[in-house]
Amino acid sequence: MITAEQKPIDEIREMIGPFKRILVLGCASCVAECAAGGEKETAMLGSALRMAAKMEKKEVVIEEKTLDRQCVNEFIVLLDDTIDQYDAVLSLGCGAGVQAVADMFPETPVIPALNTEFLGETKAQGLWMENCLGCGDCMLYYFGGVCPLARCSKQLFNGPCGGSVDGRCEINPEMDCAWQLIIDRLSRFNALDRLEDIYPPKDWSRKQGSGPRKIVREDQQR
Amino acid sequence: MYREQQITLGLFYCQNVPESREENRQALEEEFGKSLRLFPIPCSGRLEPVHLLKALERFADAAFIITCPVGACRYFEGNHRAKKRVERTRKILSDIGMEPERVGIAIGSKEAPKTLAQQAREIFREISLLGPSPVFGQE
Repeated sequence: MITAEQKPIDEIREMIGPFKRILVLGCASCVAECAAGGEKETAMLGSALRMAAKMEKKEVVIEEKTLDRQCVNEFIVLLDDTIDQYDAVLSLGCGAGVQAVADMFPETPVIPALNTEFLGETKAQGLWMENCLGCGDCMLYYFGGVCPLARCSKQLFNGPCGGSVDGRCEINPEMDCAWQLIIDRLSRFNALDRLEDIYPPKDWSRKQGSGPRKIVREDQQR
Repeated sequence: MYREQQITLGLFYCQNVPESREENRQALEEEFGKSLRLFPIPCSGRLEPVHLLKALERFADAAFIITCPVGACRYFEGNHRAKKRVERTRKILSDIGMEPERVGIAIGSKEAPKTLAQQAREIFREISLLGPSPVFGQE
């Protein structure tokens, strides 16, 4: 899941300042799960912005809508009939959602209301952890399902560093040592021999070595 | 007396608060008139910041929640959650330049339980010092 957090209201208000008719646009997918940009958060932000405008005697129209997914054109086209009513969209989608809406409606400014953060796991209520860097070459098999790139503070492929204490990271004692987790899990599966190999440095060309990545699946195309 | 002050309170309350049955609600509304809008909810944990914000945006000069005493929530943690949501709403109000005291929480006491009516009157006394909301004052 893509995680995000709402920008400070002051920053949002500055960005929407020049506009008189604003659509606050939520997304009911990832950013709803992380309580940043779903229907509820969209309603809250819309309400807060309207009250702020009233207190400053500003004549603005601020309305809300939430799409099931802001990063998929089939959902964005649902705005076709109404987008002309607004002179800006304040998007509570992730960065992909903001850009997808902007691509679809090039004449309308699309303003981000969130800071997109990371690929995360919902660890507990109100707690999201970064567990994946999206490197494009998954090696979780070799490390027992624990990614040392995302979860080891030193991003060691050939760990452990030897600095952990009681299973905690020496850089950030609030964190589990990723290599302790890796060794514990591989031990459970009698697969510690996977760590006999020396893993070469990561080939980052699979991530962003040649600009923005894309996936082409002809079987999914028209 | 409260009507003359022209302050409107949006009051959410857990239905497990003492004397908060339908007839109690009706009696309160009759007493306070338009100054009091009551919203019974099955547990204060049902309250979300958006409820308080919408009340403040549409009609209320202040919006409060009355909860069961700490440790006495039928659903264990409803009042604990309500407290956090009120705090979050207060932060939003501060961010937009409104007095955070316009939202609040009244947590019941196990030792000295108060009825819905008693708590409503206490909250009214508290908010009457705030005056009308700036959201409506500019209209």
